[in-house]
Amino acid sequence: MMNVLGIETSCDETSVAVINNGKLSSNIIASQDFHKDFGGVVPELSSRAHLQLIVPLLKQAIAEAELNLKDIDVISATAGPGLIGALLVGLTFAKGLSLSIGKPFIPVNHIEGHIYSGFLMDDKPEFPYLCLVVSGGHTLLLYVESDVKFYKLGTTIDDAAGEAFDKVSKMIGLGYPGGPLIQKNAEIGDENKIDFPIAKLKTDYDFSFSGVKTSVLRYIEKTYNNQPVPKEDLQDIAASFQKSVIGALVKNVEKALQNYKVKSISVVGGVAANKYLGEKLKTISKKYNKKLIIPGIQFCGDNAAMIAYRGSKLYEQGLRYELTYNAFPRFHSEFIATEMNI
Amino acid sequence: MNLPFITESSSVEDTIAIAEEFSDLLREGDIVALEGNLGVGKTQFVKAVCNYFKAGDAVSPTFAIVNEYSGRMKIYHFDFYRISREEELFDIGFDEYLMDDEAVLFIEWSNLFQDLLPKKLYKIKFSMMLNEKRKIEIVKNG
Repeated sequence: MMNVLGIETSCDETSVAVINNGKLSSNIIASQDFHKDFGGVVPELSSRAHLQLIVPLLKQAIAEAELNLKDIDVISATAGPGLIGALLVGLTFAKGLSLSIGKPFIPVNHIEGHIYSGFLMDDKPEFPYLCLVVSGGHTLLLYVESDVKFYKLGTTIDDAAGEAFDKVSKMIGLGYPGGPLIQKNAEIGDENKIDFPIAKLKTDYDFSFSGVKTSVLRYIEKTYNNQPVPKEDLQDIAASFQKSVIGALVKNVEKALQNYKVKSISVVGGVAANKYLGEKLKTISKKYNKKLIIPGIQFCGDNAAMIAYRGSKLYEQGLRYELTYNAFPRFHSEFIATEMNI
Repeated sequence: MNLPFITESSSVEDTIAIAEEFSDLLREGDIVALEGNLGVGKTQFVKAVCNYFKAGDAVSPTFAIVNEYSGRMKIYHFDFYRISREEELFDIGFDEYLMDDEAVLFIEWSNLFQDLLPKKLYKIKFSMMLNEKRKIEIVKNG
């Protein structure tokens, strides 16, 4: 029996989870699970909010796992990438806990947490797999060879996919969060109504979403002359925009499937919750006869379950870290291989 | 480059050339406020400056709020777009970034919290013209 604690405070979400031998015992996410006790927690960019939430979240996560603090065997926390002030709350808390109960501390890379989040599902990815990380801050296409080795095939050269959803949603007056609102409006819209072109890049697997965002803005400026977008047109704009962004993501996934031998496809991060993306990838996975793993919605956004899972894997691999391990703002990983020998 | 500088950019290549010329003016401790609507080329401009200083491949800082790059120059790339309250900026430690005299600080959507900025800074205004061209105005304040 090994209980691994996970703590996530990399951005505006606070979350604590416990995993026991690969099985999730609890996963408490402040904005989703804390409404009753705190009168609704709106995620905000604040280390103070993390500080206020972390102890009650820890207590609840341990209670829900039916454990005591002394039953925790490994303590893991997100070390980066993210906002330094926010990261430091969770990371320092984890280090202190490690020191006080005398259990090992494992720093976890937030993006690696997402990459392996498919393993939180009953139906798990099989190595090697193609992983599309799509969130508000990141867009990455990766070839994942093992628990400790993956290759970066492509990334965004400007805006992240989730960021494009948020910005366009705000632009056309739908508001925040952009992902679910665009998706909902797109469902009843005509996706072929407007052509929002995606920039063509010289590289094979990179992405660019700044151009499509700009072309939506140009379109509404030109069409509505700074007046609000009429309700009946919102759905068509949302659908046409969604088709364009998701199309670019799916296109690179398909290209990678043609060039790399993989067993599964896994799509992770906040945008993985987009149903239209899920449908398109289902079609592709059937066409190429691959297993498709999309984590449940509770594991798509930022959560500590994926941090605890990653922490437990690193611990199993024999990796140990000093308490001097620092928080880091930008994505880098000791497990990215630069040369691909396949 | 002589300031104030007003020009038109008709392509990404134009913007890169202007950014490179502007980079020559930059010294450690400088602050550059970037104003202009979505899609006018603010991030593209900073990307070109980062390339010029061999500081890495800059991407949109909207989600991260601040990205750090370093090469021949250390560059902080801020974005106020997602910030809703002044306290959030203090919480992130924005004042400490402001005081770092070993780096150049770029701020997208700086006009959202104008009062927090020092008087001495470069201001770059981007605006969209008809025919997809961008007007770029660079001034030095203070």
